[in-house]
Amino acid sequence: MSAHHHNDNDTQVLYEGDQSKLYSGLMNHHSDIQSADSKKQVSRIWKVTGILAIVTIIEVALGLYGTGAGMPKGLVNVFFLLLTIYKAAYIVRVFMHLGDEKKSFLITVLIPLTLFIWFIIAFLYDGGFWLEMNTKF
Amino acid sequence: MSQATATTQDVKSWNGGHSPFNVSYGKMMMWFFLLSDAFTFGAFLISYGTTRFFSAVWPDPNKVFHSFPFLGEANAPLLFVSLMTFILILSSVTMVLAVHAGHYNDRKGVIKWMLWTIIGGIAFLACQAWEWTHLNHQGAWWGSFTDPATALSSFEHFFSADKAVIAQHGLQATHDFYNYFFTITGFHGFHVFSGVIFNVMILLNTINGKYELRGHYEMVEKVGLYWHFVDLVWVFVFTCFYLL
Repeated sequence: MSAHHHNDNDTQVLYEGDQSKLYSGLMNHHSDIQSADSKKQVSRIWKVTGILAIVTIIEVALGLYGTGAGMPKGLVNVFFLLLTIYKAAYIVRVFMHLGDEKKSFLITVLIPLTLFIWFIIAFLYDGGFWLEMNTKF
Repeated sequence: MSQATATTQDVKSWNGGHSPFNVSYGKMMMWFFLLSDAFTFGAFLISYGTTRFFSAVWPDPNKVFHSFPFLGEANAPLLFVSLMTFILILSSVTMVLAVHAGHYNDRKGVIKWMLWTIIGGIAFLACQAWEWTHLNHQGAWWGSFTDPATALSSFEHFFSADKAVIAQHGLQATHDFYNYFFTITGFHGFHVFSGVIFNVMILLNTINGKYELRGHYEMVEKVGLYWHFVDLVWVFVFTCFYLL
């Protein structure tokens, strides 16, 4: 481990204006791209690429043959949504390196997104309600 | 005891002089911008969902998107959009490899992977241009399918529902579908376009040795976040428009 590498518990004395020292505190300052540590990270990137590709192929196959094979459309849709969130989580965690940031930062970014739970339920329910009003009355 | 120590240190890190998140200002602001952009895209997609829930029928994506360049009238549902999805995923992979090279101050690696990322972005935009042109030739655009006298035969093939229901609600649904389709894929495409511009700027700076002089490649990482976000949004657009 290089002298510059620091972990969560290191106290960095930083003063205003010296942003460069803050640069990717948790990830920067490795020196050799041929090192085992670097190669491990690259192989992880390709592994995630494989996962994203396979999940996309499964999604397309479900889209083409899912209902034809007798699966109810509602069930196929549940699979679509789960696979979408699965893919999104990998992109954010590995490609955007959010998984490598401090937990407190990860939580700060993710908590506002919980508003989507209300947002989606409320508005889709509203759409469904108006369809019911239009068809019944 | 260790808990107490951690708490003390945590309070200390918020007392100034330290970066509690260990993230630079620019990178944190990029994350917060992306958070706000996620809500903009979310609002678009949710309003699309609301309209869809509100509609008695909705076009079947397998019947709307079934063409492929140079294959004429061949019926190939989902094939072309799968290609677009793979192009964008791969350009996201080359971007993360550029960021990785940046972490190790490997200038040549950054240049190589940024070039591939830019090529991927342009390829995706080219695909989208073809798709839009193709749909436009079929009569689809913003504000299309509004004339009540439109023949049933010009839109019934988009649906896999009962013919009487299509006759009553199909025109309005087709109109809504295309308005949302062009607005949302257009907004996403504009993000891809601006992302390509940012990538080109970063590539030029890297070639000119600006980041080597600066001692770090954080700009690659910040623009990389934007580029991954564009891929992330496409994952959701792909599901909402082409799969569900």
